[in-house]
Amino acid sequence: MESYTEQIRTLAVDLLKSGKVDVVIGYRKGSVPMATVPFMARTPEQAKQLTWDSHCTLNLANYLTNRQEKIGIIAKGCDSRNIVNHIVENKINRDQLHIIGVPCKGMVNPKELQALLDDKIVSYSESGSTLTIASSQAEIKIEREDHLRDNCSLCTHRNPVIYDDLVGEVVTEPVLDDPFKDVNAIEAMDTDTKWNYFDDLLDGCIRCYACRNACPLCYCPTCFVDESDPQWVGKGQNETDIKTFHFLRAFHCAGRCTDCGACEAACPMDIHVRAFTRKLIKDSKELFGWEAGLDISKRPPLDTFAPDDPNDFIK
Amino acid sequence: MKVIKIDKNQWTQGVDAARKSYQLFGPVKIKENYCFAPLQGTQQPDMNVVDTVLSPKSAVFPQTEKLLSATLDASKPAHHLMKRADTDYSPRAVIGIRPFDARAIDLVKLNFDTKEYRDPYWCDAHDATTFVGLAVNTPSQFDFSTSMGSGPFDEKGLDVLLVDTDSAYLAKVITEKGQAFMACAGFDQEATPDDVQKIEALKKTAEQAITTKVDTDNLKEKSLLDLHQAPFWDDVAFSCINCGTCTFVCPTCWCFDIQDETKGNDTIRFRNWDSCMSPLFTLHGSGHNPRGEKTQRVRQRFMHKLKYFLDKYDQGTMCVGCGRCVKSCPVNIDIREVCNLMNAYEPQK
Amino acid sequence: MMASLLEHMGMEKDRVQFSWISSAEATKFATVAREVAQSVEALGPNTKFVKGSD
Repeated sequence: MESYTEQIRTLAVDLLKSGKVDVVIGYRKGSVPMATVPFMARTPEQAKQLTWDSHCTLNLANYLTNRQEKIGIIAKGCDSRNIVNHIVENKINRDQLHIIGVPCKGMVNPKELQALLDDKIVSYSESGSTLTIASSQAEIKIEREDHLRDNCSLCTHRNPVIYDDLVGEVVTEPVLDDPFKDVNAIEAMDTDTKWNYFDDLLDGCIRCYACRNACPLCYCPTCFVDESDPQWVGKGQNETDIKTFHFLRAFHCAGRCTDCGACEAACPMDIHVRAFTRKLIKDSKELFGWEAGLDISKRPPLDTFAPDDPNDFIK
Repeated sequence: MKVIKIDKNQWTQGVDAARKSYQLFGPVKIKENYCFAPLQGTQQPDMNVVDTVLSPKSAVFPQTEKLLSATLDASKPAHHLMKRADTDYSPRAVIGIRPFDARAIDLVKLNFDTKEYRDPYWCDAHDATTFVGLAVNTPSQFDFSTSMGSGPFDEKGLDVLLVDTDSAYLAKVITEKGQAFMACAGFDQEATPDDVQKIEALKKTAEQAITTKVDTDNLKEKSLLDLHQAPFWDDVAFSCINCGTCTFVCPTCWCFDIQDETKGNDTIRFRNWDSCMSPLFTLHGSGHNPRGEKTQRVRQRFMHKLKYFLDKYDQGTMCVGCGRCVKSCPVNIDIREVCNLMNAYEPQK
Repeated sequence: MMASLLEHMGMEKDRVQFSWISSAEATKFATVAREVAQSVEALGPNTKFVKGSD
């Protein structure tokens, strides 16, 4: 994916020079190995800092909400679906955007890579499908496919679904035999085991709200957890409050989540927060035949009522 | 200053002896990450972990802390009176606290223990705590404590400083509280002059291993208003998602929110960690919010850490260089870069 | 979907139940209310999502 960087820069420089957009939102290199920083380039000169690699794990659609300018935005498969979502939900207008689509080959987890070496990683590079990581003592080459983030290994929408320019060649979409293996594993547990599983999952949550803030879907001016009159959820470390926050936030994303994984990428405590939304993605598919962000002309299932909506849970 | 030698194979039994008289806190693994937490049962502190995700500030400043309780139920004793919570302030010891974290707690004390007001919750906890520090022999890549008034072997805020010399810990006993802890644990073998020499050598190696240098020498003389109006804040703030991770992992962040939770006739007043990153942090009752824009909040955080605190207390910046925010920030906003920007800033005339 | 997520998290299935009942369907209301009360009571006191008094 490193040749993507050159193409992205060229496109961005042209867009800014021609005045087609006011800003371009993408990533630049961070201050520590493997880090990337969401970045807004306002001039062609700044656009030369744009970069793309297998660590672009956040969702840039998060930065579009309610903006007024003409924006060039770099979007991988999942990001583009969130852009569709944003347009359907009136958080940005289609004609404000010039979407630079990136067919995604998957993202990796820096902590997982660090665990492969005894000493701290001091340099990182990639070429094609091979990633090279090095500490002061050792250097290894690994294949990206073997170290994909959980959500990337389950992804079937790597190619952007909406774009004005496409960087590179379209990639083959994987076909998964058991796309919801992780959800099924939990469904197979009995009630108490399930409860303990989620209790254990949330052990360590510090209510920093990085998951909520990294998520493009979470754009409420005042989140339900921040309300105090009436107060729906306690703000402290009580485990019921913590569980309620995650349950309800996931439910607010029902039928809208694209499994981009920004929530897990942002979490400082490495909590597997996608466990909640994965179940809802499966339900969306099975109950409504719906996958979020694929069709700009349709509204999500919890937004509309159709006479043939599933009914068998109602007495 | 007395230096005690603790053979590593005597360490665990010493900790167990101390456990009888102190509530112990130390670094332990929680799922994938290390944090400071109360040691349960016979749990030993992990003395090999270089950096913890969360700082030990929760030992004196818990994330959720009960302050007061009250009941309107006239049939109960002490009704209609606010009663202070029954927190256990019996002696505590934080084992394995890093020098930068100990300095951080010392800096926070400037805020909670002033001429005008003494925060009883924080101060009672602090008074009850003995800080048994562990020098950092191999600083992490995020450690820049030497630039921020601390260092891997700094003794500020500590009662004991342990130095790991492979087969033993050499303990510099700094205060009387530290001496009491050592006696309780049964650590009393004095170190030889040869042993003591090792400390200097390890200290030098550790300090040299910190290669990041952050410039702070100009911060004091920069005009606060100039820095406040600098043009780089928009760029610094763009990627910020206002989550609060930086404030929660930071050992010097002390902001809190006080809340009542009421059920029927009973109420409990809590305080929780709060974050200046939250949009509602400065929301006034009138509806006005002086920091309603993200850039204002991000700017405020760095100005507070690196300028306001420096100007107010003249004890250095409020950043001790632990690097946790750099490591945990989801968008890699780096305080080292921002500090250098601030230190070098010259307004265009 | 809400009931499904609650069940997925380990809440017993019968604790949350749904029914469409118009204000003109008094008999149905009484019947459903009785049924729900019985099935929930059979599960015993709820311990999940209950905030402790800490």
